[in-house]
Amino acid sequence: MLKRVTRLVPRACQLDPGHFLHGGPQAPQSLAARLDDQVPDENPRAGSHPSEDDPAGAGEQREGRHYRIPLQDLPTVFPHGLPRRFSLQVRTFNEACLMVRRPALELLRHLDDTNFAHPAVRYVLYGEKGTGKTLSLCHVVHFCAKRDWLIVHVPDAHLWVKSSRGLLRSAYSRRRFDQPVEAANWLKSFKTANERFLSQIKIQETYMWNKRESTEKGRPLGEVVEQGLTRVKNATDAVGIVLKELKSQSCSGAFRLLVAVDGVNALWGRTTLKREDKSLMAPEELALVHSLRKMVRNDWHGGAVVLALSQTGSLFTPRMACLPQELLGKEGFDALDPFVPILVSNYSPEEFESCIQYYLENSWLQHEKAHTEEGKKELLFLSDANPGQLERLCAYL
Amino acid sequence: MAAPAGKVARGWSVLALGLRSAVPRLPGLTQVRWSRYSPEYRDPQTDKEYYRKPLAELTEEEKCEQELRKTQLIKAAPAAKTSSVFEDPVISKFINMMMKGGNKVLARSLMTQTLEAVKRKQFEKYHAASAEEQATIERNPYTIFHQALKNCEPVIGLVPILRGGHFYQVPVPLPARRRRFLAMKWMITECREKKHRRTLMPEKLSHELLEAFHNQGPVIKKKHDMHKMAEANRALAHYRWW
Repeated sequence: MLKRVTRLVPRACQLDPGHFLHGGPQAPQSLAARLDDQVPDENPRAGSHPSEDDPAGAGEQREGRHYRIPLQDLPTVFPHGLPRRFSLQVRTFNEACLMVRRPALELLRHLDDTNFAHPAVRYVLYGEKGTGKTLSLCHVVHFCAKRDWLIVHVPDAHLWVKSSRGLLRSAYSRRRFDQPVEAANWLKSFKTANERFLSQIKIQETYMWNKRESTEKGRPLGEVVEQGLTRVKNATDAVGIVLKELKSQSCSGAFRLLVAVDGVNALWGRTTLKREDKSLMAPEELALVHSLRKMVRNDWHGGAVVLALSQTGSLFTPRMACLPQELLGKEGFDALDPFVPILVSNYSPEEFESCIQYYLENSWLQHEKAHTEEGKKELLFLSDANPGQLERLCAYL
Repeated sequence: MAAPAGKVARGWSVLALGLRSAVPRLPGLTQVRWSRYSPEYRDPQTDKEYYRKPLAELTEEEKCEQELRKTQLIKAAPAAKTSSVFEDPVISKFINMMMKGGNKVLARSLMTQTLEAVKRKQFEKYHAASAEEQATIERNPYTIFHQALKNCEPVIGLVPILRGGHFYQVPVPLPARRRRFLAMKWMITECREKKHRRTLMPEKLSHELLEAFHNQGPVIKKKHDMHKMAEANRALAHYRWW
């Protein structure tokens, strides 16, 4: 399945979107064997003990095991925070452990194999609610951060299209609207995550903020970010400039760029923001959405784009919708086409067992019956091996 | 486990007609709440282990009972009663008491959030404590819940008895179910009424449960007040005739 897809790309460059299969790509044995030579192998520890801190996928032996993210990395790699329930778990256990699962391993292998001369490949994580799309995305972001890539991480695009307080008319384009608060927050997280790159990257054009302030050509990118943070009214334009510069300069090879967006279906959905005349806005009228849409196009090279769909925060989509066609709509699907779909499914029996073992090792399952076989069977039945549901069940047991 | 088919009221009430009860007619006792089932209905057995026992291990009584169950009428199990291994009758009763307007879903979710909150607080304390203290910190929310309610149960209660035109508060030993009921009722009332309006129930309840577990807090104080009042009215104890 996926092997077929990767062979299709260089052969004819004619990609029929209808033929992308939704079956979870099973890593063929030969592919794994070839990759294991390139990716250094970790020493897997027995059971589900958290292994070393290196998130590098190390072959199928690590599948189902947990790996630990060092706590001091968390504020730099995830400055806006992790998903709420996971951050509660991190606070309770005093450690951040993610399970290494097949979809994330697939993605890491593809990222290791990327040909940076080719246009950026878009990977879309999709699946039912609670299967682990966001955490797989976080795993990939941590992997790339460890490999010193430049990360453009939007933790939840849905937050940009709903309940925004200060909407201003954009100074750059009369048709669009600015969101100063969201843009400023994003710039702050971007600065914390990519501190070391901000002084190295120089902008290639002069930008006039207003009659008195401007940023000259050749100044470091950090100045644009500072300008956006100090003058909050220009924050959205600063975001647009940052994304544009990163896109044009990633081809030079000075850095590798990873664009990670969660809830990407918000960019092509509907908003609940109103104009002055109380009519609902379309997402393309928001400047932030406009710049992000340009970013996830594949007209640049030197990096990769990893996206995750999400029905949970989305507006006006049915609850059971989980497939890319349903969540992105025709417009979004055509914009993202061609992409590599990666299905994130519920736990396999081994993964379920590993998860329960992890909870037992941390003494999270306190109920005496939860340690028994009967209890485990009941947990499996009640949660249907769905990671999100299992976590909620074990929280009160 | 045949529960009495109906509740009886003490004191004098109008005798209801057409009673069918297993409770013997006593003077001054009236049927107040009764069930639609007649006395020959037996309670349902939801314990999976009971049915899994192989035939050889059963004693004579159990074999006899199983034979009887084949022919006798059995009541329908209530919707909230499950054969889950995690089921706890005390927790179910507490959820029912917290429920308002029949919204069992909300009451149950509040209970689970409370247990989670208790667990997280105890884990925080555990990680912050030294090695010797870690052995003393209890992290199981169910043990904490049961122990807290047990600590809140009053031993002796007061009952208004009419003598000579006046009601006197007479100290009386309480049956077990009345004690459990009072503990739960006080806990819920305390959380609903005495806390700030904006705090959520799981937060309030987890705080109260942890305090009661350590024998502190307003609910324990209420229990002690009840004991003190009973002690103060010790002289009226002979008004009780049962």
